Amino acid sequence: MKSRKSLCPLLLLVALMIGSISYAQQYDLLIKGGHLIDPKNNIDSVMDIAITGDRIAAVESNIPPGQANRVIDATGLYVSPGLVDLHAHVFYGTEPNASYSNGYSAIPPDGFTFRSGVTTVVDVGGAGWRNFPQFKQQVIDRVRTRVLAFLNIVGSGMKGGPVEQNLNDMDPKLTAMRILEYPQILVGIKAAHYMGPEWDPVDRAVKAGEIANVPVMVDFGRNDPPLSLEALLLKHLRPGDILTHTYAHVSGREPIVGENGKVKPFVFKARERGLIFDVGHGGGSFLFRQAIPALQQGFPPDSMGTDIHVGSMNGGMKDMLNVASKFLNLGMSLKDVVAASTWKPAQIINRPDLGHLGVGAEADLAVINLRSGNFGFIDVGNGRFDGTQKLECELTLRSGRVVWDLNGLAAPKWDEMNREISSR
Amino acid sequence: MQRTISIALSCFIFLLAGAITVMAQTYDILIKGGHVIDPRNEINQVMDVAISGDQIARVATNIPADQAETVIDASGLYVTPGLIDIHAHVFYGTEDNSYLSNGFSAVPPDGFTLRVGVTTVVDAGGAGWRSFPQFKSQVIDRSRTRVLSLLNIVGHGMKGGPVEQDLNDMDPKLTAMRVQQFRDYIVGIKTAHYRGPEWDPVDRAVQAGELADVPVMVDFGTFRPERPFQELVLKHLRPGDIYTHTYLNRVPMIDESGKVYAYLFEAQKRGIIFDVGHGSGSFWYRQAVPATEQGFWPNSISTDLHTSSMVGGMKDMINVMSKFLNLGMPLEEVILKSTWNPARFIKRTDLGHLSEGAVADVAVLSLHTGNFGFLDVRLGKRPGDRKLECELTIRGGRVVWDLNGISRPLWQDMQIDP
Repeated sequence: MKSRKSLCPLLLLVALMIGSISYAQQYDLLIKGGHLIDPKNNIDSVMDIAITGDRIAAVESNIPPGQANRVIDATGLYVSPGLVDLHAHVFYGTEPNASYSNGYSAIPPDGFTFRSGVTTVVDVGGAGWRNFPQFKQQVIDRVRTRVLAFLNIVGSGMKGGPVEQNLNDMDPKLTAMRILEYPQILVGIKAAHYMGPEWDPVDRAVKAGEIANVPVMVDFGRNDPPLSLEALLLKHLRPGDILTHTYAHVSGREPIVGENGKVKPFVFKARERGLIFDVGHGGGSFLFRQAIPALQQGFPPDSMGTDIHVGSMNGGMKDMLNVASKFLNLGMSLKDVVAASTWKPAQIINRPDLGHLGVGAEADLAVINLRSGNFGFIDVGNGRFDGTQKLECELTLRSGRVVWDLNGLAAPKWDEMNREISSR
Repeated sequence: MQRTISIALSCFIFLLAGAITVMAQTYDILIKGGHVIDPRNEINQVMDVAISGDQIARVATNIPADQAETVIDASGLYVTPGLIDIHAHVFYGTEDNSYLSNGFSAVPPDGFTLRVGVTTVVDAGGAGWRSFPQFKSQVIDRSRTRVLSLLNIVGHGMKGGPVEQDLNDMDPKLTAMRVQQFRDYIVGIKTAHYRGPEWDPVDRAVQAGELADVPVMVDFGTFRPERPFQELVLKHLRPGDIYTHTYLNRVPMIDESGKVYAYLFEAQKRGIIFDVGHGSGSFWYRQAVPATEQGFWPNSISTDLHTSSMVGGMKDMINVMSKFLNLGMPLEEVILKSTWNPARFIKRTDLGHLSEGAVADVAVLSLHTGNFGFLDVRLGKRPGDRKLECELTIRGGRVVWDLNGISRPLWQDMQIDP
């Protein structure tokens, strides 16, 4: 009897302690001491950020470590929203002669995104309205990267050769119908690779964009004879539509920087009009000879699209942070580089739920190391530019889960882990 | 007449100049001033490496820079044979429920190899004798990475589930026939993932290996008392056969007093090859740290690259190499176990070295010092102070990766034409 009496307060105390522990650990994850860059919320300072489940739970200047199950020390590192790559090719597959649409030129995303801080990619034009369902079940539904898409105005998608030249397969109505069927995934229309003298592919893409109320992205450049870039930007496209491959100089499309070394006046005019300029680096579309004068004259890109595919992944492009590092070394501020890789592309595709670290947003996040040293960067002509700064991805969170951890920032020491053997 | 003479003379001068130019540029690429580690040729010092076409043309202490079209300054860097990863899964595809054999769990190689200095991968059992032709046309023939194969003893290959448990589909004779048909590509036999109590998959793989005169690589599947691991490495496998997943937690490795079991050294001495095969489940610091402290090192370093390991603790070949460097393996041993050793194990002595006349597969690596962390498959961290990074990769004489543009001219010096 006596012993039972003394047990009661003990039990109460234990119950109280358990309660206070679960109260104290209200967050799953706390990233402490990093320099947060969240352009949407105008944050560019050292802040702590807490995550619960798949959501951002708190962003404050000092969150006590005792309130989280796991604490990541990000001192000396930058914390940014998960990067959004507005120009990727991830409809990979093994169909012969299918190029970027279930073919060998596209890549499976997860091996290329997380290691570079990217949590969302936009496949631009791999699938058309006919083969989007295959793209969805083969890639989008199976990968951990968030995959969104611009539907190709060509119904059969970006299969190369004559398939992409078939005006009879460019149907604005059917394209728009497919987009309205998958509004959570399909965020725009792509027109690309057209070699004829007609404006039809662009105009039909815009028409589809009007019906579905989404932007159009144009890869302009193979028209024979070349069409006027000025007419494209000032007449055919709408404000909010996107020119990709901004700093390219390819035969068939005039460059934005003319022979006199100046950015053409109509290009500035187009930006004033609301046109969006994406990098779209790729294997053939980024030259220092274009980018350096353009940036010097005040023409940075709106978005850092990589144009990642088999032909660019091992070349001058490499990955999103390598492209971002180029622009950092060309004089863009880190804040602007992050904005062009997060909040700006999110806005361009009308997805304001992405690209920021607001409380309640999905916890897609990148922890980035800004290295200094002697680095080189190469363009698509294999010309080198020497720089002193380079971004490296330390940690990537996708929907609250660690999906990349370069140096074990989020990991306990191996000899401090329990001995229990997990099943394989 | 005079005019004719002067024309003839200028022609002669022109030809002479052309000849001099051609003579002067004997080599296409010259890698100058790097520290060459070529274990097969016992080179471990600063040397120049010259390449002509797709072959190593010369390795010498001082090759004049004007003898080459492209000169790469590799001062402060290491120059090694292109790395060979003998455990990868690259038979990617989009067939449902096909795992590592035309399925979603394998990766296309080029995005994971060239950027870390790997020029040759061996797909470990993705294809079996039935599916090898598809693997060849879909992956091997289309990749810039050299892709070799260990043929699965299961005819349908590594498709997961019951397919890999089907003893009726494990035919040594047909497997050996396929090896003999594609000797340039198939370098061994793989058995893996078997759950049953029988020794048959291992024994049939060895039988196929005997018929085709190639080694066998074993993933021991479910460890069962009916077939003790000790017997695998001491009896069932032949010298030259390979056990992969060396530092898997289930391998009996450390006794209760913390000592490495003697049979492991005995097996290694017997000629069994212990391969890392890191993957997403098979490299445990709890095994690797005490084992390597007591001298039980792997014979070859490999990744077990696939979709679950590519962004986990494994990451890539050079990350796994860096782990062993930080565990205390000397750099030249790390290179040996990533180049010449694996080449010998698969009997491809044409690979894994920088001899004159060898195919020009070369990696240029930098060795960083700093504070790094390396994860095992449980995502436990071990700190380290050194890390390898791949600066440049040459495959068949062509630059296929250049991290910082060391093989490239400055952009201002290039011609303007698009």
